[in-house]
Amino acid sequence: MKNKAIKRLGIIGVATSVLLTGALATGSRAATPVQLSIWTFGNVIDPLLTAQYTKLHPEITFQSKKSDLDASASSLRYALPSSAVPDIAAVEISYMGEFRNYSNYLTDLKTLTPSSDTMKDDYLGWRWNYMIADNGATLGIPTDVGGLAVAYRTDLFKKAGLPTDRAKVSALWPTWSDYIATGKKYMTATKGKSAFIDIPQTIYTAVINQGNEKYYGGDGKSLIYSTNPNVKAAFNYTAQASQAKIGTNVAQYSPDWNVGMNKGLFATILAPAWMLQYIKQYAPKTKGLWDVASIPGGAGNQGGSALTIPKNASHKQEAWDFIRWYLGAEQQKYEFVHNSIFPTITSLYDDPAIKDLKDPFFSNAPVGQIYSESARAVKPFVIGKKDRIIDSTFGQALSRIQLGKQIATAAWAQAVNDINRAIN
Amino acid sequence: MKPAPTRKKVAPKNQGDAWGLVYVSPFFIIFGIFGLIPILFTVYVAFFHWEPLGDHNYVGWLNFQNLLTDHYFYLAIRNTFSIFAISFIPQTILAMMLASFLANPHLKGKIFWRTILLVPWVTSTLSVAIIFSELFGRNFGMVNVALQYLGITNIDWVGQTIPSHIAIATMINYKWLGYNTLIYLASMLAIPRDLYESASLDGASKWQQFIFITIPQLKNTITFMLIVGTIGGLQTFIEPLTYGGIQGGDSRQFSTLGLYLYEQILVNNKLGYAAAIGVGITLITIVIATINFFISRRIAGDGENA
Repeated sequence: MKNKAIKRLGIIGVATSVLLTGALATGSRAATPVQLSIWTFGNVIDPLLTAQYTKLHPEITFQSKKSDLDASASSLRYALPSSAVPDIAAVEISYMGEFRNYSNYLTDLKTLTPSSDTMKDDYLGWRWNYMIADNGATLGIPTDVGGLAVAYRTDLFKKAGLPTDRAKVSALWPTWSDYIATGKKYMTATKGKSAFIDIPQTIYTAVINQGNEKYYGGDGKSLIYSTNPNVKAAFNYTAQASQAKIGTNVAQYSPDWNVGMNKGLFATILAPAWMLQYIKQYAPKTKGLWDVASIPGGAGNQGGSALTIPKNASHKQEAWDFIRWYLGAEQQKYEFVHNSIFPTITSLYDDPAIKDLKDPFFSNAPVGQIYSESARAVKPFVIGKKDRIIDSTFGQALSRIQLGKQIATAAWAQAVNDINRAIN
Repeated sequence: MKPAPTRKKVAPKNQGDAWGLVYVSPFFIIFGIFGLIPILFTVYVAFFHWEPLGDHNYVGWLNFQNLLTDHYFYLAIRNTFSIFAISFIPQTILAMMLASFLANPHLKGKIFWRTILLVPWVTSTLSVAIIFSELFGRNFGMVNVALQYLGITNIDWVGQTIPSHIAIATMINYKWLGYNTLIYLASMLAIPRDLYESASLDGASKWQQFIFITIPQLKNTITFMLIVGTIGGLQTFIEPLTYGGIQGGDSRQFSTLGLYLYEQILVNNKLGYAAAIGVGITLITIVIATINFFISRRIAGDGENA
């Protein structure tokens, strides 16, 4: 009896191991299925592109999580020490000052195959440098760059007696003072029926991003936010715009902003490249009523992101393969044409698909040219660890001015106080 | 041959005690791991300058000193209590009135009414907050549109302090009104009918019966709801967060204690300070619970004498 049982077990054992080896052998001939998880925000990484990648590599599927900007940064920050990290995480430019310190938690892309060093020179140098850690590790690779321009409503400008041709409009406002003056003219002409700019606080963001320095000194550690004259200038221009009442009180990306855009309640929106896509998404019926002019004050950059691979990610090589594919010329052209996400790969700026791109939604404005000029002319500055907090605190102070709750001097003093308390 | 000495049997009573401990131990073990240890760790973190992915520096009492001189902390306390008062008082009155309406034995469709009351309670707080945030939008929200027909123009439900508290209190009331009503209803149904009958015989009106019979009989329930409500109110944070962002408005007009703590974690990366705020909230809760306890003891004492 016992021998029979052992014999039976033996046969079953052998059969099972044969089947298993057979299964494993077949498994290794076809690639093992891998699901890459992506954590992102805004319009970074178009789902159509991940679907296309799956068609090319059927074993790779994707799971994307999209959050608001601040939420995506905080959920990434707290997930990094654990194993519950995505394979690919997008980091926005305001957070690069913080995340470039996490060389313990983000993969050094130089150590992957092929090394990120082989592609370094294809990119805008000042963007590449933002994700280099103090120890020289490359923690992220840039995706898009914002640049800066002004999107304006040609129909509303016409009604207010302003020129509509984009060269003439750009000539209206070489400086921010000229921009505010144009705004006052607009408000008088339209008797307040619509506002000149959607949100005056966006002027602060634009001017801040046009300077040689932002909140941190050249060493990356010393704080200059309260003494940097460009910060003060940004604050003052915005306060002036609020006092001249050329903007509305809606919050950007809010339902009120959406409705306002559709009803033609504001004539201009300061627009980095990716903002054009928001306008198209939120107000599709206003197609053809917009155009794009240059921004007062000179070149600047607002927004942009980098892709990182957390150290605890489970599929680093597959993630890196996808990232390199995503950053390929065809995919980047697709992102610009369909999502107004402007590439950081400089050779593309001379590619006719980008250089000659005209957007019918914006009266055939040469958006490729506009944003490549903008991106090339940017003066890079240091982005430090607490950049985002300082941004938000000044933003709140400017909102208080806009809502008439505080005068500019008091708002500035409170902002500096609040920042000091928040970052120490 | 002498029989082997019998072992002294353990008395059944002691055995029962031992088993009792075994039966309740799962709760204490789980509470110990997931409740007590995190609480103790939070108190520990409060003595540090603690960055999530950076340094942990011991700073002693500094966080607590900063907390006591932090006028934003006191602002959060004021906002939290204001929102609580604006939500609790109308909610209690409404809940009791609704409950007495539902306690009517001649009411048709009792089960329908009682079920429908719970629908807001099972809705996620986040969904409620999102929808009410749109309703209270300054320019296009439905509340302002409706008020325009009454001649009241654009109230800034987000920007002004008291209107923002009213808006948030409305969200809280929407969620909890049905639940509170059912609790009061259950207590009301336990009130002996003959109290009402003898009152009717004595010529008391429905309203007088409500004031002089129903409410005194509900005193214990009201006290219980007050304690539970206060503890919940001190932790309000999803509603203001969804309503106006993590700072609680541009002037912190609806920054609550929970939200202020959350802000330290997510915006400022100051886990030590957040922990100190957490300790502060706990101490406030203990103080209030103690006050509630003494009040309810006094009320219960009255009840016995009555």
